[in-house]
Amino acid sequence: MRVGTKRMISKHRIQSLRPYQMVAENHILRNFLTALRKMLDDRTTSFYFAILLVIVVMGLFGPMLAPHDVNATHYDDNGDILRAEAPSVDHPLGTTHAGYDVFSRILVGARPTVLTGLIGGGMILSIGTAVGVTAGYVGGKTETVLMRFTDFVYGVPLIPFAIVLITFMGVGFLSSALVIGLILWRGAARVIRAQTMQVKQYPFVKVAKASGASTPRIIFKHILPNVAPMAIFFLAMGVGYAIILQAGLTFLGVADPFVPSWGVMIRNAFDSGYMATAPWWSLTPGLLIGITVLSTFMFGRGYEDLIDEDAESVDAEAVSA
Amino acid sequence: MASMKRYFVVRFVQTFVVLWLVLTGLFLLFRLMPGDFTAQMAVAGASPEALEEIRDQWGLNDPLYVQYWSYLVNFVQLDMGESAIYRQDVWQLTKMRIFNTFILVAPAITLTYVLGSVIGTVAGRKRGTNLEKFGIVPVIAAGSFPSFFIAIVFIIVFASWMGLFPTSGMLSPGVSGEYDTWWGPYLSGNFAHHYVLPFAAVICRYLFIPSMIMRTSVIEVMDKGHTQYHRLTGLSSVQRFRHTAKHASLPLITLYPVSMARALGGLVLIETVFNWPGIGWLLVESVLGRDYPVVQFVFFIVAAFVIISNFVVDLVYGTIDPRIRVEE
Repeated sequence: MRVGTKRMISKHRIQSLRPYQMVAENHILRNFLTALRKMLDDRTTSFYFAILLVIVVMGLFGPMLAPHDVNATHYDDNGDILRAEAPSVDHPLGTTHAGYDVFSRILVGARPTVLTGLIGGGMILSIGTAVGVTAGYVGGKTETVLMRFTDFVYGVPLIPFAIVLITFMGVGFLSSALVIGLILWRGAARVIRAQTMQVKQYPFVKVAKASGASTPRIIFKHILPNVAPMAIFFLAMGVGYAIILQAGLTFLGVADPFVPSWGVMIRNAFDSGYMATAPWWSLTPGLLIGITVLSTFMFGRGYEDLIDEDAESVDAEAVSA
Repeated sequence: MASMKRYFVVRFVQTFVVLWLVLTGLFLLFRLMPGDFTAQMAVAGASPEALEEIRDQWGLNDPLYVQYWSYLVNFVQLDMGESAIYRQDVWQLTKMRIFNTFILVAPAITLTYVLGSVIGTVAGRKRGTNLEKFGIVPVIAAGSFPSFFIAIVFIIVFASWMGLFPTSGMLSPGVSGEYDTWWGPYLSGNFAHHYVLPFAAVICRYLFIPSMIMRTSVIEVMDKGHTQYHRLTGLSSVQRFRHTAKHASLPLITLYPVSMARALGGLVLIETVFNWPGIGWLLVESVLGRDYPVVQFVFFIVAAFVIISNFVVDLVYGTIDPRIRVEE
């Protein structure tokens, strides 16, 4: 027993030299970061991760880097409004039909888009984990009720329900992001429940239970750290789902039109009738949304390669937005 | 067989209860919505006494359970009230829209399942090769771009730049009066001309789902013992392929009706971009116009499609695979 303890301590010391071990005390975070590090060993996965980082940086600093005011109308030398002007040095992505600078709007629009992804993805992950771990660990009647509820949420038609719910909660940027999280946790809940039931069978959980550990302690010390690597996958997929769905809801006009996200830009271009004459305006935001979502999905596949099986959590409806 | 009958009855009752729950939920949701339609009349300048009379006449002052009961009775009689925007019976208004959506969804989704199963099989069999690694990227990419964006790209390229197809609508304005039967327009060249772009957009967008499901399924079946056995007995690769495909297509077959039902509700975006007079477009229009009787009915129809198709799938699946039955 003593020898074992000693060995564990020395192993711990060696590992603590690595930077990710700075959070060694927090096993949940540690396992999360270990899995992330392993995933990034793969070149393709790290390529998509880099794209995601660029998008996040755009979200953080975009509004500060924007060369022009997003709501400033630009004029040419004759004093005419620069309507749907082709890209130039001054306006790298051209202008809109109202003479706004597209490049600045793209940079400013990155922030609400990234924010939606993080709010939506975070909610999918946290609600999904809460429901999945509770159902999987506690079992019994609690499990039946929670999983029946999850089945029910699966039966809800996503976009129509989101539209109705948003009109009920009030049209706004935040409500559209929240509604997405409130529906799409279902896939995460199912998979995490299955994983929890597996972890529950391991000897260390049984030992902990036999030695009198409380349920919260077992969940936080033993279950969650072993579910943590999955969080990367669900966070990545959740961010992708949230962004694509919010763009769709924005396009339908059930999100705040004054928060200049990329979805709003596409809607404005569609409404203006300049769609075909100013493709730099109508296509750029859509391309960026697509690249962002593609990166999250491909990054998620990196996790599937890591555990060498398919997590099978493509929410068929979420990707239909 | 007795258990099969029992399974059928249990699932039937469950489906019925869920449908009723959805109806009740909708009733409550729209009663909780701030303000009824008289609020709009008040804005329009109707006097309080006149409003009160209308409220009496429409039963809005009755206790909730009386309203609820008449709501259910009317529903069974297909009397869904009158649209506030179109001033038309809701059922009359929606039935053609449902057909319009259906005629777009059914062939397109069917084709995605046919194409998707081929793509998925190839990707699954060639797992780990460069063909799979890079070939899957365009399929996932098509699933990553918002559907309305794909529709917009199609409009810009094929309608505006090349001028090959009309940009929106289901028929050219003014031609609908030329037909004396309700199905006449659907057989015309004009309709076909309008049909191409939305059809292509739906296929492009929904190909992702069956492909990915088929890929996973093929990989699973290839790992099974019987596939290895066929290989050992020296079965030709074509015959092995037939075996694999038969087993692997099971999840695809069961998902097909569900996919169809979900697409009916999920086509909102593509319909909006193309101004296709379908049920999804109607839903958005009526939500934004606060046309609650229409919203209520359309939402119920969409939900009912999903619930009933789930029921059908469970029955089919219960017949094919006896291991899957309702948990007692």
